[in-house]
Amino acid sequence: MSEVKVKKETNLSDPAEIENRIKELCQQFPHGITDQVIQNDMPHLEPQQRAMAINKLLSLGHLDLLRNSSGLLYRMKDAQTSSKMKGSDNQEKLVYQIIEDAGNKGIWSRDIRFKSNLPLTEINKILKNLESKKLIKAVKSVAASKKKVYMLYNLQPDRSVTGGAWYSDQDFESEFVEVLNQQCFKFLQTNHTAPRLTDRCSQVDLSMDDIETILNTLIYDGKVEMTVIAAKEGTVGSVDGQMKLYRGVNPVIHPTGLVKTPCGLCPVFDDCHEGGEISPSNCIYMTEWLDF
Amino acid sequence: MTAQEVRLCGLLLREHFGEVVAKVGTHLLRSGAQNLRTIIHETGISLDLVKKSLCVLVQHGTCVFSAGRKGPGSPTEYQTSCDRILRILRYPRYIYTAKTLYGDTGELIIEELLQRGHMTMSSTVKTVADRLTQNMEEGRSMDYSEVSSAFSKLVETHFLQRCPPQAGAGTKESSTPATPPTPESFPDCYKVPHMTLIGRGKRQLSSEDGEDQRNAKKAKLDLETHGDEGIYWQVNFERFHLHFRDQAIISAVANKLDQTSSEIVRTMLRMSEVTTSPTATCTKPLSANEIFRSLPSSYNIARPILDQYLTLLVDDPMEFVGKAGESGGGMYVVNLHRALANLARATLESVVQERFGSRSARIFRLLLRKRHLEQKQVEDFAMIPAKEAKDMLYTLLSQNLVQLQEVPKTPDFAPSRTFYLYTVNQLPTARMLLQNCYKTVANLIERRLFESRESKRLLEKSQRIEAILASLQASGAEPEQLTEVEEMITAPEKQQLESLRVHINKLDSAENQVDETIFLLESYVNSTATSTG
Repeated sequence: MSEVKVKKETNLSDPAEIENRIKELCQQFPHGITDQVIQNDMPHLEPQQRAMAINKLLSLGHLDLLRNSSGLLYRMKDAQTSSKMKGSDNQEKLVYQIIEDAGNKGIWSRDIRFKSNLPLTEINKILKNLESKKLIKAVKSVAASKKKVYMLYNLQPDRSVTGGAWYSDQDFESEFVEVLNQQCFKFLQTNHTAPRLTDRCSQVDLSMDDIETILNTLIYDGKVEMTVIAAKEGTVGSVDGQMKLYRGVNPVIHPTGLVKTPCGLCPVFDDCHEGGEISPSNCIYMTEWLDF
Repeated sequence: MTAQEVRLCGLLLREHFGEVVAKVGTHLLRSGAQNLRTIIHETGISLDLVKKSLCVLVQHGTCVFSAGRKGPGSPTEYQTSCDRILRILRYPRYIYTAKTLYGDTGELIIEELLQRGHMTMSSTVKTVADRLTQNMEEGRSMDYSEVSSAFSKLVETHFLQRCPPQAGAGTKESSTPATPPTPESFPDCYKVPHMTLIGRGKRQLSSEDGEDQRNAKKAKLDLETHGDEGIYWQVNFERFHLHFRDQAIISAVANKLDQTSSEIVRTMLRMSEVTTSPTATCTKPLSANEIFRSLPSSYNIARPILDQYLTLLVDDPMEFVGKAGESGGGMYVVNLHRALANLARATLESVVQERFGSRSARIFRLLLRKRHLEQKQVEDFAMIPAKEAKDMLYTLLSQNLVQLQEVPKTPDFAPSRTFYLYTVNQLPTARMLLQNCYKTVANLIERRLFESRESKRLLEKSQRIEAILASLQASGAEPEQLTEVEEMITAPEKQQLESLRVHINKLDSAENQVDETIFLLESYVNSTATSTG
């Protein structure tokens, strides 16, 4: 670092001015600027000087370096974050960067270690630090209950982490699902004329997708059928010019004959032999059934 | 032929033909084609008894015999088939169907033919008429012509058929010695069972006639005068099965949609009854116009409504009815095989549902629908918590209702680099359930035998008392005497008899119910064999 500064001081033009100019440019183009833009703006500047200035800005955390199809892009960093990161050292910044990159999916502390090459104890310290500053938060993943993932404080966790509407505190709300499942079926039964996919009120906000998954479970229960029809764009419930219609159906057959006998439901069916320990003659299930 | 099938066959044979026949029958089932000598040697039953049991089996079409495989002159070999013996289980259903279609006469005709294997038309008609007369009031009788018209109706609708080796029996019967082991390599050896048939048939007839003589009005006509000697008739099981299949499809449509649509399907099936071959995957195409004309007028279905119903049936995911073309107001077919497959699938689902609960059934249906799924996907789609879903999947897997397919990313099958895909194979699962059904029926029969064995003494006692009562009543005894005899059965004994009756009835009806499942699964398995082959 000190070396850089020494080199800069040897330059004729004022490095601070160049930096300011670059910052201004960045503010003008919030999407980022390329090297070319800076070059056009300050044609007199030597490439070396330009590089020095950018390097300094980057090391101070004022600029972000991004890569896109046309080459490298420089972009102004959030003033807020940079202010938050004040007083943090480089390692902290690095970890913050990694967590930020992970987006709302979050990242596991072990993965942070791999990406940062820092020892785990160090990372734990940094994470605790960042957490106390309310820069990041730890979220428990539903996929593995013991696994904590970290993400930026202001982010809404992804569905894959929280499990969507069906989870509360990493626990699958099977009761809630069952109730919704039954309610949907009841609704379809009372509305015989192919009711449209409809959202219904409950304590939790359910999206169209959520209701669709519930309706799908009803399909797998064999209680409901779905038909897809073409619909005019803009009609309620239509997606990409098609509309899903659901309808309650009756079962095709009554419980089959086999399961009306005790043998059809017998847990020791395979061990049952005439003359054996378990046999039709001394079967208690059969006795109970006969006396029923 | 599986162990379960052989066990069930043995039980069925024992019930209908007795211990010896059952022993010979199961022996033949286990060891395939064998000649008489080997049978006697391996079963240790005397020649006479083996012969008689073979006669019984051949008479009932459960056993076929052919020239020995070791070339001309080698002893005749006997072979039985499970399929035919298992039909015995369905006898009540055949008889009931005949009753619903053709009344009491049809019922008795089928019953007689089933009980005796095969008979000539004249003797069938005679026996049935005698039996009907017996049940009528004094002074009335059943006309032979009525019975024979019912008989010909049954033949017309293919419910009865001639036995394959037809006429020309008379001469052979006299020339060929009536012993089964006669080594004959020409087809005339088929005549041997006819000989035995006449012997047995006559004995039964004469004994029955002896009883009947009091009531039967009919003068005893000579069998020889009917001129149909040597033409024997048997029940056409295939035709009955087609009827059952159609009924199953119709009732499924009625359950799924409504009565009207089931009537439309019934009409379609009836129209194509004659034109469609038994193994066809779907019926011959029928135009909407034809269907409309054939609909019984009592249904009051207007043409546009019929069109709507047909569209509805075609759109239904069960695909009972398909559209084959547009001509003639739309050509429609009934997808017989697909309907069977769907019904079999519903049966499998129902088994899983009843045995493992509706959530397992949800997983099962999900797998049927989506073919291959990983465990995680199953949990997500079925919306079942991971722990429960895992439990259910493993239970289903251990019962062989669900299969596991490993797809390794690397050739070493390391678990961490392998996809585990769950899937349901409908056909093997149906086969497995079919075996379970056989075992279940066998269990029910065993239990029934056990129940009656347990109260054997009591049953004998009640029979004796009933006999005494009947004879006393006939001789005109006084009421006090009758009540005295009646009281020989104590109240607890009566109760026991009653509960035994309930038990036996329950077991009997359960046997018939399981047989319905067997029928559906068997038809499905057979239909897949014919549609691929």
